[in-house]
Amino acid sequence: MSEVLAGREELIFQTENGSLSQSDTTERFQLAFHQEELSFRVCELITFKRKLQAIDLPAMLMSENQDVEVLHMPHCDRLFVLTIQNILELKELLAGAFTMLELNSVIHRQLVRRPL
Amino acid sequence: MKDILRRHSVLKEEIVNAINKQIKMEAQSSAAYLAMAAWCDTRGYDNCAAHFFKQSDEERKHQMKFFRYLTDMECDAISPSIGESQHEFASLRSVFETALEAEIAVTDSIHDMVRVCRKEGDIATEEFLRWFVQEQIEEEFVARRTLELFDVLGEDKIALGMIEERVLSIEYSAEG
Repeated sequence: MSEVLAGREELIFQTENGSLSQSDTTERFQLAFHQEELSFRVCELITFKRKLQAIDLPAMLMSENQDVEVLHMPHCDRLFVLTIQNILELKELLAGAFTMLELNSVIHRQLVRRPL
Repeated sequence: MKDILRRHSVLKEEIVNAINKQIKMEAQSSAAYLAMAAWCDTRGYDNCAAHFFKQSDEERKHQMKFFRYLTDMECDAISPSIGESQHEFASLRSVFETALEAEIAVTDSIHDMVRVCRKEGDIATEEFLRWFVQEQIEEEFVARRTLELFDVLGEDKIALGMIEERVLSIEYSAEG
């Protein structure tokens, strides 16, 4: 969690094909997934997570012709064309990353901000 | 490592989802009251129409209060899409019965939100909801009292005229 990357970017969570890191300088998150690299503000990352969660995976699996889902993220003017495999990987990545971010919040509340 | 999540997103996801659900419910209520107002207005129940126009405005204000709370907390507030409202009613009484049922549903939903806040330990949002809990006591009282007029006065033309006369004067007073 505290592995220091280039500059002041810190790795939050990593899976086989992706990682999420945070920059304390810009207060933004950096998502690396396969060959893509994208920057998010907090609210954009939460929106991205919500859009991913809203994808109806059983419907995709049952469908005969729908094997990709297209997600639009206006903040970076990008379209994500995601396969079922991509969706599962991203869900795993974001679930792990948000667990780590919440843990960081608990640490700050209990140890950093705690009055002496 | 900075706590960016806490700095820029004050509320937990469960709380944001519950508030967005409530924003949609308030918007739906506002639209439903508008349909009730239209029904009353076209049938000559001017005061009942005025009552429902006022209720519609209040629901819209509630919606905006929740909406602004989310934006103030740097959370995603979702402008809701709403479904079709009920435009046909069998009688004036059934309009008020529908209104009371809607208010009870809103009360239940607000109470559910308070429970979510307690579960998540969100003291600030629970405190914010206190106003809505009180407001619903008032809203339900007015809806119930109006409906009781039908029990007391009946539903003939004279009774409906008396209800029309009294509907705007029903107010809740916590002192009794």
